[in-house]
Amino acid sequence: MSAGKWTADEELLKTFRAVGRASLLVDIQDSHSGNMAVRWADAAGEERIVITATGSQKGELDRSQICFLSPAETDYGYYKASSETDVHARILSLPGVRASMHAHVKEIVIATLDDRPKPAAPPPFVPVDPLGWYHLGGSVPVDWFAVPSGSPEMARTIPERLAANVLTLIWGHGAMARGRTLPEAFFRLCVANNSGAIVRQMEALGVDVAALRARAMAGPGAVFSHAPADYAAYDDARNDFPEEEEIVAEFAKAGHRVFESRLSPFHTGSMSVRGVEAMLYAPKASMPRDIGGPLLKVPLAPGPADDPETALHKAIYAGSDFQTVLHCYVPEAEAQAHFVYPGDPAPADRIVPVDAEGGFQYLVIPVVPPGADAATLVRLLHEYKVVVVRGGGVWAVGAQSLSEVLHHPSSVREICLYRAGAFARGLDLRKMEPERARRW
Amino acid sequence: MYGYHGRILEVDLTDGRVEAKPLDPSLVRDYLGGRGLATRLFYDAVDPACDPLGPDNVVVLATSPLVGTSAPTSCRGHMVFKSPLSGLIGTSNSGGTWAHAFKATGHDVLVIRGRSSEPVTLDIRPGGARLLPAGDLWGKDIHETTDALTEGAEPGNPYKVLCIGPAGENLVRIATVANDRNRVYGRCGPGAVFGSKKLKAVRVSGREKIEIGDRDLFRSGLDQAVYLMKQAPVTKRLMREMGTAGLVELINLIGMLPHRNFQDCRHRDEDVDRVSGETLARTFLERAGGCYLCPIGCQRHTSVPGRGGPDEKGEGPEYETTVLMGPVCDIYDLAAVTRANYRCNELGIDTISYGGTVACAMEMFETGLITPEETGGMDLSFGRADSLEALVRMTARREGIGDRLAEGSWRLAAACGSPGHSMSVKKLEIPGYDPRASFTQALGYMTSPTGACHLRGGYAVSLAFFGGTKEIPRYSLLQSPIAIRNMQNIGILQDSLGVCRFTGYAFATEPWARMVRGATGGDFSVAKLEEIANRVACLERLFNIEAGATAEDDDLPARFSDLPIVVEGKERRLAPEDKDRMRRDYYGIRRWDADGRPTREALDALNIRRRGR
Repeated sequence: MSAGKWTADEELLKTFRAVGRASLLVDIQDSHSGNMAVRWADAAGEERIVITATGSQKGELDRSQICFLSPAETDYGYYKASSETDVHARILSLPGVRASMHAHVKEIVIATLDDRPKPAAPPPFVPVDPLGWYHLGGSVPVDWFAVPSGSPEMARTIPERLAANVLTLIWGHGAMARGRTLPEAFFRLCVANNSGAIVRQMEALGVDVAALRARAMAGPGAVFSHAPADYAAYDDARNDFPEEEEIVAEFAKAGHRVFESRLSPFHTGSMSVRGVEAMLYAPKASMPRDIGGPLLKVPLAPGPADDPETALHKAIYAGSDFQTVLHCYVPEAEAQAHFVYPGDPAPADRIVPVDAEGGFQYLVIPVVPPGADAATLVRLLHEYKVVVVRGGGVWAVGAQSLSEVLHHPSSVREICLYRAGAFARGLDLRKMEPERARRW
Repeated sequence: MYGYHGRILEVDLTDGRVEAKPLDPSLVRDYLGGRGLATRLFYDAVDPACDPLGPDNVVVLATSPLVGTSAPTSCRGHMVFKSPLSGLIGTSNSGGTWAHAFKATGHDVLVIRGRSSEPVTLDIRPGGARLLPAGDLWGKDIHETTDALTEGAEPGNPYKVLCIGPAGENLVRIATVANDRNRVYGRCGPGAVFGSKKLKAVRVSGREKIEIGDRDLFRSGLDQAVYLMKQAPVTKRLMREMGTAGLVELINLIGMLPHRNFQDCRHRDEDVDRVSGETLARTFLERAGGCYLCPIGCQRHTSVPGRGGPDEKGEGPEYETTVLMGPVCDIYDLAAVTRANYRCNELGIDTISYGGTVACAMEMFETGLITPEETGGMDLSFGRADSLEALVRMTARREGIGDRLAEGSWRLAAACGSPGHSMSVKKLEIPGYDPRASFTQALGYMTSPTGACHLRGGYAVSLAFFGGTKEIPRYSLLQSPIAIRNMQNIGILQDSLGVCRFTGYAFATEPWARMVRGATGGDFSVAKLEEIANRVACLERLFNIEAGATAEDDDLPARFSDLPIVVEGKERRLAPEDKDRMRRDYYGIRRWDADGRPTREALDALNIRRRGR
């Protein structure tokens, strides 16, 4: 390979850097772990594997740490490339796969740890949240490897797993995901980590996760709200309203905050600003800096092609005067929505803040079952501004701005963290909840 | 009916008939109280073609179900009438103690019709009301009238007085009605309507209480409201320490402080310092005060050095007064502004319209449209602080050039053949926020039912600069129509709940919904309140259309399109096509047609019964 080819163009470098930084922000890498790879055609149309250098610090990638390899033969690029290059190369040879990524998705790794003697075949991980269930396929394989990093055993097994799954877990180590683009692979890793976090938080709250899994496997419609739309891999740069520069900036600010504050995994959730006949709609609300998402102008009138998410935005606007809507998948809220008070037969229909700020800002956060209709949601949003749908994320509304609507799920996350923390310390939540909250 | 007494007091000044009538519960359900209820009763009672200063005009003054409870700031009354300034609906709102005391007479609403042949005072007690001769009060100012009518009250049950001054008596179109001496129903000229009816004052006294439907529910909303007001800087501290004039520096900082009749927004910083809230606090402020049940305390009780005598004491100035009588007239003399404010309080003149009218006169004087002969030799140039106070007296008494100022800026400018010099919308003078610096504010002025009012038009400036999480882009054509509709609706609810705008700095509708549900036991969910606000806005529009308003009235003076200001280094103006788009979208979101007429669909959806149908 000539030296001239050892240079990432701006777009490629930007993507690697952005995904690298984002992966550290959501804590699915340590400072030097993980690796990213894509298949890339150079100007002459020659296919290359582009992969991060071994030991590179993913938060600060520079050009020299983006390696260009031949997919067909060993060349000098392999000196510097990731130790997982063999695994990536085989994954990238799968039909339709143009990107792969390995990350230390600690939440789901912890959620799949067990103390049985090894070697052993761990059971698959079954998500109990809608993102994990629908985007990861309802069941995620877990494999134990004697040498769980860069080994020939991994290079053989993992591509096989990824031929049938979008993501696979390496017991005690991390996950490997495939995608059509690098952001799509990153998306799947984030969703997986989120699923692990939710299971762990549910376990900490005493939720019967096994029973929930059994119900999901019996019929996901009873456990989850609508299925999220399939990940759209190629439209992130689309902007239907470039003339509204100030609003575009507001979407970016809100999207960054959703991502960085972990209010919803990467490129999940949705947000909108209402116009008179159309809404400005970001179907990937959680947007890190430097990785945007599409900004669409969508008619407010219901359309036959509307996915459930878009349709719900429209229904909220049709039934109210709100100007902004945000939907995101706050993991703490999903776990809390399944909390059952000791002695109660079923999860509560409200989350009651036990902290001072949350208690006066909200008093209660209503929780509705996954099948709740739009009219119920709109009614509750009028009264409470934010609603948790069990198995369906957090919906919030604002009278004016995206900033206003963003504050609600952010507050809900804090409220849930305080409740979970108090419960973990053995405190009696019932005693901590304000008396007035019971009347609402 | 919890929260209400269920009684309307109707007074016909022509024949002296006073009658208590039952309040239709369906009106309460659909229009709540205050502004909403008053608007419905006004719409049903008045011919939209009537002469605003004739006997057929009707004044409706309504309280809300929260008035009489302990809800914070719930002391306010709302007055609706046909405006002698605009010829359209006039609505004005005031704090103080009068509305609370009126409700304690056992009535929710006061309806005033007809015209007395002689000056009268309406005296209302529980179980009855009567008209008293007021010939001896005619000519007295508001403070003198208040003092005269509050004498002789029984201990523990003081008289509360609502009255006009000489400006109202002289049919000055920018005249106010005042209570508690300095709390005014200021905008749209209600004082002139009182004056035309020869109604000098309404005195009330009573101890009737209302019953609360669900005390626990009421309490839960109240607790949350109080907590949030203690938390928000504007409600917990800023207003008390600096008053609304504390905004002067901020509004200047963001390039929105108007200058020389809105010709530009350029000021020297040291000049702005001289009229700022900080300077007021350091110099003339004696103490802050608040309306009944108000923890915010924005009132400015001040004193200024007397000219050759003792210090003068009074109230003010607030932000709007400071700006309209100050920088808009190129005046940066806080003492002069404060003294002129005192005179306006006493004589009964709206300080916003007065400042706007004087600024208009100053510009026309400098351009020769008003001559020194017409001013009696008075120099009306911009910056002449010495003219401010004298002109208040001349305006109130319609003396000299004051007779023309008494007509408001639009009629003054039109009489000179140059209505474009009037910085007004629907003939109501523009308050102290330049619309070129915020499209939302611009649209608010354009679409306000009463004309250029920062309150009825939607308090949009907060959305751009100090609205916390609610801040929106300043120049968004897309967001402005819905943003201002929502701000207008919140204002309608606050006016209909009888509470202060400034609570909006701490919270929006949810705590109020719980309080009003608790107070009334009725179905006033947030969604229901939203629906009521839309209904009231539509009914106000309907009246204006029937009174002759058209889409052309929903416009700003050409100056704001022709003459840009510079904000943060960029030229800003309201291009005609931008105004057209925002107005069209605003009509659309209100479900009005392209001419701004409420559609049948909107009327049906909001269950609005049209006149005679």
